Amino acid sequence: MLIEIENLSVTYHVGGRDVRAVEDVSLTVAARESYGLVGESGSGKSTILRAICGLAPISAGSIRIDGAPVQTPRGKAFAKRVQMVFQDPYGSLHPRHTIDRTLAEPLAIHGIGNTDARVVQALDDVGLPPSFRFRYPHQLSGGQRQRVAIARALMLEPEILLLDEPTSALDASVQAETLNLLNRLRAERGLTFMMVSHDLAVIDHMCDRVLVMQHGRAVEELLHEDLARAGMKTDYARTLFEASADRMLNG
Amino acid sequence: MTLLSVKNLRVTFDTESGPVQAVRGVSFSLGRERLGIVGESGSGKTMTGRSVLRLIRPPGRIDAEEMVFDGIDLTRASERQMRALRGQRMAMVMQDPKYSLNPVMKVGAQLTEGLRLRHRVGRTEARAKAIAALEAVQIRDPDRVLESYPHELSGGMGQRVMIAMMLIPNPDLLIADEPTSALDVTVQAEVLSILDALVRDRGMGLIFISHDLRLVARFCDRVLVMYKGRVVEELEARNLMQAQHPYTQGLLNCLPRIGGDRSPLPGLDRHAAWAE
Repeated sequence: MLIEIENLSVTYHVGGRDVRAVEDVSLTVAARESYGLVGESGSGKSTILRAICGLAPISAGSIRIDGAPVQTPRGKAFAKRVQMVFQDPYGSLHPRHTIDRTLAEPLAIHGIGNTDARVVQALDDVGLPPSFRFRYPHQLSGGQRQRVAIARALMLEPEILLLDEPTSALDASVQAETLNLLNRLRAERGLTFMMVSHDLAVIDHMCDRVLVMQHGRAVEELLHEDLARAGMKTDYARTLFEASADRMLNG
Repeated sequence: MTLLSVKNLRVTFDTESGPVQAVRGVSFSLGRERLGIVGESGSGKTMTGRSVLRLIRPPGRIDAEEMVFDGIDLTRASERQMRALRGQRMAMVMQDPKYSLNPVMKVGAQLTEGLRLRHRVGRTEARAKAIAALEAVQIRDPDRVLESYPHELSGGMGQRVMIAMMLIPNPDLLIADEPTSALDVTVQAEVLSILDALVRDRGMGLIFISHDLRLVARFCDRVLVMYKGRVVEELEARNLMQAQHPYTQGLLNCLPRIGGDRSPLPGLDRHAAWAE
């Protein structure tokens, strides 16, 4: 198993109170698998991705990548294997850095040469013309920005991509393009995905297995086939399925 | 009965590079029903909603052959008359509670401000009305919410607070601009059923603006599909799957489906001719 999460708990201390964002969640993701996390806001699904990256305080449990426990702080070797794409393409790119600078920065940090060619290649990989190199984020549309964010995550050629609601800020047609891009990149590069979304239809389209979460706890793990034929066992997973806007088109 | 009729609505922005038309000749009429307006970002759907309330700031201009709300000609109404209509008889729920509520004012004060100033309602009565409105949108502990600042509420709560605020004066027409796009599916379903009950029980007219075609189809009676400032197709929501226009079909097909075959999603073709 490439990613192993065992009895993970994340607790934030807010104003003297303990807020348990994730409680006792275990999951494993195989290499080249696409694993989905679904649930309402506050269910802890994004927090799991953040915990993997060291962006959330782990209070119990363990995270192992390829058998080895993750180091704290995560360090360069981790960044080379695991990268994250955030939900908001408006907030996750530095507004005063050109696309070129954003894409070149990970290369500089890791001492990787041949910057020019790599940046141009990275833009091409996500379907953007080379002329976008010297633009600023505000000169791009939401979909183009998310492509840049994906290109940035791929600069170090990681094996694992953590995707936190990568398309929920995008229009339906732009979402389709972005999902297609992610699927193509996964196939070409043999990437492993962990993807968070509140949209079951997106998860169904992208993922082989999915974990349904509620109030920080794992509710049910489903195989892709079970999701499609409504084979969920718990009431909550069924509620989510029924509430999915996609349902009306089948009826 | 027609509550609102709009003919040949145009919204023009004069920019340095010449006039840009955000809405180009939109016509529709609305009874006491649920009308959906769908389109991608930039299609002019929000501008159409705002025009009805004449909430377009200069340099934007609104032109229409006709824009009549319950017998009142909105194109000729004075600013004073418009102020009397806005909020009272036609209200708009904005997209994002984070930006549309006053961040430094407690929810209670925001909810009662209008009542206290406009209707000279006393503090206690205003508070009682605010609590009733919050209960109407299924907020369980209205007392706590009244004493909260907007940042202390979740997205779903904030959205419901905005709906409650718009419902206090009991308007005849509610324009809801993406009222649920920031919400989880289960909360979304709750907010929609609240809106639905209001249309049914109070006989309100509702314009529901959204980019989510499936959601609109499930919830509305009729749907206008907008592309580049024009209505390309108008249809009964239940006939959505039989949509004729290639743009509507494209919008439908580019959505992933549960149990779909997971092949690459079709992109959306855009023909300049559709915008003519």
